[in-house]
Amino acid sequence: MSRVSALAHLEAMEAMEAMPLTRFRHRHLSDRPLVVIPLTMAGEAGTPLAVLVGESRRSSTLLVVGQPRNRDQRFAFAAEFGRIVMGYIDSCRQDRLEIPSRGEERRSRYTSAPQILVPNNGGIKALSDLGRMCRFRRTDGPYPVPAVVPELGKWLTFLVETAEQAGTSMLLPMTGLLGEHWATGQSALEDQNLASLMAWISPPDGLTVQEAMADAENPELCPPAGPATSPQFDNTYLAPAMRRFDTARATGNEQALAEAQADLRGLLSEQLNPTWRLMWTALALLRGVDEAPRAAARFERDCDSFTDYSDYQDSGDARPQPKRDGAIRAARRLSRLERALADFEADMAFDDPYVRADQRSLGEAFAGTVVAAEPDRVDITASNRRVPRPRVTVRTLDPVRLVDDTKLISPTMPPGHKAEIVSIVRDGDASLIMVEVTGGMGRARVPRPGTVPVVEQHIDYLPDPGWRPTPVFPEADQIPWTHAGDPEDSETMDPVAAGQAATEEWGDDN
Amino acid sequence: MIATPDQRLDALRGPAPRMHHNARTLAALENNPRCMLRAVLDASGSDKAAIAAHTGYQAPFGQSSFALARGNVFETMVKANGCAELLRVLRETLQLTLPEVGYQDLNDVGGDGRAESRHARTTHLLTAAARGHGSDTLYDHPMLRLVVGGHPVFLEPDLVAFRVDDRFHVVEIKSFPIVDDQAAPAQVRAATTHACAYIIALRAMLAASGIGPESVSDTIVLIAPKDFTNRPTGAFVDARKQVATLTRQLERIQRIGDLVELLPEGLTFDLAADDTGRPQRPAQELAEALDQVPATYYPECLNHCEMAFYCRSRARADGSLDVLGSAVREQLGGVDTVTMALGLARGTLTPNDDQVEMAVALRHAARLRVELHNSPGAAGAAS
Repeated sequence: MSRVSALAHLEAMEAMEAMPLTRFRHRHLSDRPLVVIPLTMAGEAGTPLAVLVGESRRSSTLLVVGQPRNRDQRFAFAAEFGRIVMGYIDSCRQDRLEIPSRGEERRSRYTSAPQILVPNNGGIKALSDLGRMCRFRRTDGPYPVPAVVPELGKWLTFLVETAEQAGTSMLLPMTGLLGEHWATGQSALEDQNLASLMAWISPPDGLTVQEAMADAENPELCPPAGPATSPQFDNTYLAPAMRRFDTARATGNEQALAEAQADLRGLLSEQLNPTWRLMWTALALLRGVDEAPRAAARFERDCDSFTDYSDYQDSGDARPQPKRDGAIRAARRLSRLERALADFEADMAFDDPYVRADQRSLGEAFAGTVVAAEPDRVDITASNRRVPRPRVTVRTLDPVRLVDDTKLISPTMPPGHKAEIVSIVRDGDASLIMVEVTGGMGRARVPRPGTVPVVEQHIDYLPDPGWRPTPVFPEADQIPWTHAGDPEDSETMDPVAAGQAATEEWGDDN
Repeated sequence: MIATPDQRLDALRGPAPRMHHNARTLAALENNPRCMLRAVLDASGSDKAAIAAHTGYQAPFGQSSFALARGNVFETMVKANGCAELLRVLRETLQLTLPEVGYQDLNDVGGDGRAESRHARTTHLLTAAARGHGSDTLYDHPMLRLVVGGHPVFLEPDLVAFRVDDRFHVVEIKSFPIVDDQAAPAQVRAATTHACAYIIALRAMLAASGIGPESVSDTIVLIAPKDFTNRPTGAFVDARKQVATLTRQLERIQRIGDLVELLPEGLTFDLAADDTGRPQRPAQELAEALDQVPATYYPECLNHCEMAFYCRSRARADGSLDVLGSAVREQLGGVDTVTMALGLARGTLTPNDDQVEMAVALRHAARLRVELHNSPGAAGAAS
């Protein structure tokens, strides 16, 4: 958050409508996302109650667990949901493209990657719990489950892990997507409510933003987008319906059971349908925002990691992700997340003047007009070569906090443009920043036309995130003893513990 | 005659029965200690939910019967057969060396379930135990008393105190799960706050007999379902910081008398309920009474305070920046309202001495926003 973004929220509050926070949508949107709205049962950890899932607004599938406390019903649900999710993931594994590589190893990747959209962060948590619940299950031994259950568990866990990484697009919360692009006149806490957020961006026809906001907080008009259901709904409708279902099942009355099931499905679909419509409306709005130029490259990285995980699953000895990361896996994950965040922020700033404005108000980037130029300046390198090193002076009103010698890139110059700060001189409210152009001028002794800023040109500069080498981590058997930790936490779970994990006791077993 | 603070507080509440502190009021106390409206309403024992509902801003809090049932089943299971499961966790998971265990249920005293008699018995037994008499280790349902704002409050006795190495430990039994040794931080925090109130109450009780605070441990024992199972597991939670925070806040609330002094004479939040309990006081009049007391609203209040929706509407009407939450507020130190912030940003308001720097930054930010709006291909607002 910077003052520029804060102002956008103030403008929204004043105008009573959402204001843009970015010029572009920085996430790739699939042509065929899988929208998933999970509901869980209150009081039971990660216990699925229902899910509404589908690839288009008009075709949704509702899955309901009649009695979530019952282990068999829970896994029957997981298997059904698993078949839908795996069908979708398989549909992304149709075409593979060879990619040019400098190394010996020939590589290829799927041309597509899955994209699962859930309403909010709670939806991701629900999928994460479901993944944890399913991935250690066994197809043999006590409590066997269909093979698709552990497969679903592993894939959900993979997707949830990608969702932690900035800039990925394989599992996204709708509130997050909308909040990245629009500022509302309410708090981040209230923006977590999809209906409330949508009230600001696009209130239903005939309603003002105020009216839509009030409706959004009324569970009778706008049922919560999950994963928790409203307590009133639980107590008034769901609990009696579930009791009827249990009774019918206990007495073996087929007709009563069918009726009770239909009842439950009707109730839950009423709770889910408003959010379903909201999800697709939100998606249509987001599709109307131009995709950022660099989102395509990030999507290719998604395809890479999707391909890698898919190949690992096909390799035959695919194991479920460990319960807890060992030292190396944790360090690797942390490093990956940090780099992804830095890259994503740098990409967004380069692409998007709005994001740059944030950085400019923080003094981490600047823009201004060229007031002086030495286009013909030449330097002699250590190897006695004459190279063009033009210098220009930019006058800016931005409160620059960069230091001398900072390496710069510019989104308003031709690609490859590089520069360095020589000096910064205050001039009243403004700053005069002398920069030396160091790259992007071609190989000749004279810079290519257009590669050196000219007087009166408006130019944007931001720090060059630079290239960072991939960190190297030790092998599993070479962890220093200080970090070896508890063997139970390690990546290689021993078979006995794995067996215990598969047969752990459940709600109604005893 | 000058009314004592207690009389003033009773007048604020009116003839309605006094509400007692519970987990939610304690959470509100911990999260927003500086809110005067909350302090006055809680100290006077007013029914915040009823007041909020009568002003037209009903609090959306309710508990699902599923969650309640699950909580009860789990607690019963942990405590069954003289806390057999609890002892297993204490010994196996937490590796405590417990000698022969004596179990003492303080739920009622020979058929007398009144809070006062239970409290007396609890005091008698626990004080004796702290002095080294008696061989019991587990005390179920001890009735404790916490002094909040000068008033003794009985705390819901859903805990066990156990004694090991000459110290009492507070055990919280919760039904949210600990999955792979991790539990949701917000839930752990709420449970810890609750337990902190017990620690403070227990210490106060022992202090009355000259027993020092070191006789009650700062570390609480959290018992919760393991992973997705029904089997309990346990974890130690270091509550030192929260005990200190809550102690400080309770000390502050002791000075509730000073706060009450500031309120206008004759102020009351009495709903003037008729015989059937229906409020007869005009809602407008009630709202005017509430408006006499300043509130400190944060969006986070929506999570725990019954008055939050009322306060939010007030903050919205005032154009207060509190509506936007801390992330935005932090960018605008020293500025309280939208009108002022936008006025400074657009140069239509002159900053006071403290606002000069902020005004410069805001004007710069506003220029950038204008530049963005005017740039080619500017993102349009949604339509």
